[in-house]
Amino acid sequence: MNTIIQNILVFTSVGLAVFFLAKKYFLPAKKKSTKACGGDDGCGCH
Amino acid sequence: MSKQINVALIGNPNTGKTSVFNALTGLNQKVGNYPGITVEKKEGICKLPRGVKAHIIDLPGTYSLNASSLDENVVIELLLNKTDKDYPDLAIVVSDVENLKRNLLLFTQIKDLQIPTILVINMSDRMAYKGISLDIDHLEQELKTKIALISTRKNKGIQELKELITHYKELSTEPCLEASSIDKAYFDNLRKAFPNQLLYKLWLVITQDVNFGKTDRKTFEAVEDFKTKSNADLKRLQQKETIKRYQFINETLKVGQTIDLKAAKDLRIKLDRILTHKVWGYLIFGLILLLIFQAIYDWSSIPMDFIDSSFASLSEWTKNTLPEGAFTNLLAEGIISGLGGIVIFIPQIAFLFLFISILEESGYMSRVVFLMDRIMRRFGLSGKSVVPLISGTACAIPAIMATRNIESWKERLITILVTPFTTCAARLPVYLIIIALVIPEGRIFGLSYQALTLMLLYLIGFGTAVGSAWILNKVLKIKSKSFFVVEMPNYKLPLLKNVALTVLEKTKAFVFGAGKIILAISIVLWFLASYGPGDNFNNAESIITAQYASENLSEDELNQKIESHKLEHSFIGIAGHAIEPAIRPLGYDWKIGIAIVSSFAAREVFVGTLATIYSVGSDEEETIKNRMAGEVNPILGGPLFNFASGISLLLFYAFAMQCMSTLAIVKKETNSWKWPLYQLVIMSAFAYIVALVAYQILI
Repeated sequence: MNTIIQNILVFTSVGLAVFFLAKKYFLPAKKKSTKACGGDDGCGCH
Repeated sequence: MSKQINVALIGNPNTGKTSVFNALTGLNQKVGNYPGITVEKKEGICKLPRGVKAHIIDLPGTYSLNASSLDENVVIELLLNKTDKDYPDLAIVVSDVENLKRNLLLFTQIKDLQIPTILVINMSDRMAYKGISLDIDHLEQELKTKIALISTRKNKGIQELKELITHYKELSTEPCLEASSIDKAYFDNLRKAFPNQLLYKLWLVITQDVNFGKTDRKTFEAVEDFKTKSNADLKRLQQKETIKRYQFINETLKVGQTIDLKAAKDLRIKLDRILTHKVWGYLIFGLILLLIFQAIYDWSSIPMDFIDSSFASLSEWTKNTLPEGAFTNLLAEGIISGLGGIVIFIPQIAFLFLFISILEESGYMSRVVFLMDRIMRRFGLSGKSVVPLISGTACAIPAIMATRNIESWKERLITILVTPFTTCAARLPVYLIIIALVIPEGRIFGLSYQALTLMLLYLIGFGTAVGSAWILNKVLKIKSKSFFVVEMPNYKLPLLKNVALTVLEKTKAFVFGAGKIILAISIVLWFLASYGPGDNFNNAESIITAQYASENLSEDELNQKIESHKLEHSFIGIAGHAIEPAIRPLGYDWKIGIAIVSSFAAREVFVGTLATIYSVGSDEEETIKNRMAGEVNPILGGPLFNFASGISLLLFYAFAMQCMSTLAIVKKETNSWKWPLYQLVIMSAFAYIVALVAYQILI
């Protein structure tokens, strides 16, 4: 039982680590959209 | 429910803006990036009377709202965009009592955007020293605002400033200069075409070379009723605006400010004469560098030894206390060892940033920039290239971003390309551990050989950066003009709070930024080193037992042989052996090869990787340094980390482009993959050749 739990924890940790590294280096970063000054409501500066 | 207001902290560089930010927010601050760009964004919370909270943004330093760099664009974009969640309810313009005239230019521009604005006059403790007196009532009346006369150094006036922030709604939004006075006919047309908008905001949008979302200069050209002017005419109007503003400022200060030159006591000229002297200046700078490297070694050895042995004990304790199994091994051999490989360097990183921060805070760094400009010019770099090259000692990423204020594209590109040669903090862990292993502990003239080696590596990095700049200057056929302007701030005693916050922030960024990557890589490496394919790995015990059946090995010796056999046939062992032929001529074994490959993510991963690989299967409580010192060269015998392989490794890391994040930022700054790929190929090839030659000569 102990061995199974330990193995589950190991594989979960490795999976999370690989996911973290892949996300950091290989997946494109999500670009937050900047609220454009302008658009339908004018430049928002009035 | 408490109320929160947005406050933008704006000011010229060197006015003590960050000190005001620190005084208002204390430790309630965080550093991030503006969305979509990599300009640093500092924000914090200031608790005000009556339960009001101020969300304060420390905007990049700017001399005016006429943007010439990306950093300055950030200021203008925020001030012009009411829909931005950070759009300020209040602007605080920080000025310095000695440069009030110049600082007021920016103040009048922001005031004219009709944002409630407080003028903070900082460094008031220097007024008597400089013979300056101010008529605050007159200034408040003329500038149509409230003024906080403060001294962050003496912690004076901060409470009064907080009171003013609380009552920001009472501030006048009347402009200092009527925009239409710049050119009446032109502004009348503008008002007719855009009747509901603030003239000065429109004027800023028209005159800037940046796009504010969809409203840029083309938007104005598209409006039929309004004919904008040519670029040259707009520039002329901008100059006219500046002259008008200075006329207003001069009139205001004529009564509001008195300077008694006889009362002024100035050490600055005397100090500048020595510190920027063409001989003494360089000598003093050299001595300061020596002191820094000596201190990094001598002062940090005690906490480092403590951290190293603590992690070794923690790893041992984990193994002995937790139930036996794979996860316990992962904790003890992978995670704790890997983290130990980064935490151990906290003292040295902190000392490095302590000194850099003191040099910057004291005003000495600007003298270094000025001093080095004489050298830089000969190599096709701008004096401003010194800032990225010096800040590259912390990290190449902000350093490359700092090139944005270099006006000439050629000089900027060269600076971007050569900055990664500067010894960054991430190289420090690699250098420190290798130096400790291969350089003897003796001293010469009171300076340790190890400290001198470290200094030499910094000089090699800087020298290579400058040398390659010279070559690039000859090779790159890009035409551009350049000029050099640097502000020399006054000498100041560094503020302890500022220095402490910088050290804390930079060390935290280093540990947590690199720490997460190292933790993840340590877990993956441990897995790859602890599991493997095929019978050779799975039946390691029976293979080794049969192999050594005739020899009378003790249980410990046999276990060591089994672990060693498993490591060699693990996933990482197989990968390491595959790349070994390429690195063997440099004096490295497959384990070092794996560390080099994994440290491509970030250089500091090198030590953590070796710590993880060496600790797999080890039952002894050993420090990282001892484990590395105990490694034996499998072919030649003797220590693996000897003088030849150590120097070879040091030189490899001095020149190799081992940082994915730097490549990403170069791509972003040059807007092309061409330059980062050139950097990667040329730097790696150069590093390999130099490391190869060094090893072959020294062996």
